Amino acid sequence: MLIGAVLSGLIFGLYFTLVGLGLNLVFGVMRIVNLAHGDFLMLGAFAAFWAFHLFGLHPLVAAAAVLVVFVVIGLPLYYLVVPRLQQARDAEMLSIILFFGLAQMIEAATTIAFGTSERSIPGRVLGTGPVMLLGQRLPSAWVFGAAVSAVAVAGVYLYLYQTRLGRLTRAVMVSRDEALATGIDVHRVSAIAFGIGIGLAGIAGVFAPFMLGSVTPAIGPEINVAAFAVIVVGTLGNPLGTVLGGIVYGVSLMLMQTYLSSWANLLPNLLLIAVLLTRPEGLLGRKVRRA
Amino acid sequence: MAEPLLSASGIETGYGKVQVLWGAGIEVAERQSVVLLGANGAGKTTLLKVLLGLLPAWGGTVRLAGEDITALRTDHRVRRGLSYMSEIGVFTGLSIAENIRIGGQFVDSATLRRRTEELFEIFPDLAGRRSTLAGALSGGQRKMLGIAKALAAGPRVLVMDEPSAGLSPLFVSQVIAVLGKFRGTGLSLLIAEQNVAFLDLADRVFTLEGGRVGFSGTVEELNADDALHRAYFGLA
Repeated sequence: MLIGAVLSGLIFGLYFTLVGLGLNLVFGVMRIVNLAHGDFLMLGAFAAFWAFHLFGLHPLVAAAAVLVVFVVIGLPLYYLVVPRLQQARDAEMLSIILFFGLAQMIEAATTIAFGTSERSIPGRVLGTGPVMLLGQRLPSAWVFGAAVSAVAVAGVYLYLYQTRLGRLTRAVMVSRDEALATGIDVHRVSAIAFGIGIGLAGIAGVFAPFMLGSVTPAIGPEINVAAFAVIVVGTLGNPLGTVLGGIVYGVSLMLMQTYLSSWANLLPNLLLIAVLLTRPEGLLGRKVRRA
Repeated sequence: MAEPLLSASGIETGYGKVQVLWGAGIEVAERQSVVLLGANGAGKTTLLKVLLGLLPAWGGTVRLAGEDITALRTDHRVRRGLSYMSEIGVFTGLSIAENIRIGGQFVDSATLRRRTEELFEIFPDLAGRRSTLAGALSGGQRKMLGIAKALAAGPRVLVMDEPSAGLSPLFVSQVIAVLGKFRGTGLSLLIAEQNVAFLDLADRVFTLEGGRVGFSGTVEELNADDALHRAYFGLA
């Protein structure tokens, strides 16, 4: 039972890494809190749901389309909102209020359009039968979702560490002022990071019906709490720390669900409180490069 | 008389409603080293920020090689040959090599590779530690990296904000020695400082007091002015 819980935890850890990664990327680059992150994830889930039920589109195709569409939406949204926010004295606090409002609008519009019913996609779409791993039977949809998450995380790593734009992104994360002084087009770099951030939320959303069972227009806040737990554990502003945060969160969640199931829903809050009290800089804070 | 390579005239600016510069101006000729002297709060950094486009000018003009660049964004000024070393100077979370590559972001890759090797010859302490994080370097080494990063852009004018800040006298002399290597080359230097040791590099000196330029001339002329000499050298 323990091995099964840990294996499931690792799988869900990869998925929750993807859930938190975009939020952490946006915070790391812009120092703003995108409280609409969970609602962008929910929109990705609904896009996958309708793409499958109306057109029979495979979630992998839906994920690629969602990534492109969300990045394209993210660019003008950045220029509309973020530069104005950053001129404010307390941009972080204002960003919380502004994106909270945006989250409410997205949730309300989705509820009006699609109702409050739970939506799901059959797991067999991502493979039939369980996958055997270390003698444990795991749903193939979980393994598929985790594999896609791993590829997305690797893609972000390659972007940040192997591309020119990624290097500039990390420079902005280290010091926005120094980036400006060096002649980096900070708004262009930030806009792309913002687009990628909500694009990652969209991909996570496509696989949410498989990993979470079902989705409703109201899942945004719940996702945000989980995403915050992941990135606070892994270190705010450090996208790669999200991997550690995701794994810690996923394994803890599965161990709780296995041995203390009635307490499992408290886990994100417990993790947040524990880390903020004992190690507020996160598990990787100051011991690794920030970007 | 030939037009200066970099000039600012009648610059007025500030932060919010607080005006800091009151018609300040400065000129840097081709291949010239200019030191901008001033106490803390005199407006040196503010003037440099206006030159680089990091702070908008409320009034006045900035020109580079005859072109009015007052309204240009910083990245366009860097592309035109203006490079800035701020007091921070480096990206602490990035490696030495990455810092230099970012400094040379507008340079084609072949030129940047060649220039990087030239910079590592000038700064041998950095050469063997290319993948070391800038944050792991000493203060003096960070200044050297900051200079290398700014030079990677291949600037016509290198603008530096207090390169002596936070350094011991030994490191200050090392920084001055390195900058001395560029005197008379194709590079023009504009150094904002309150450390008079940098006057060794100066072909021309400007002083900034309360957001206004007080003196403009050579080091010899500055030395000849008793009041200024006392103010900046602290000698009777």
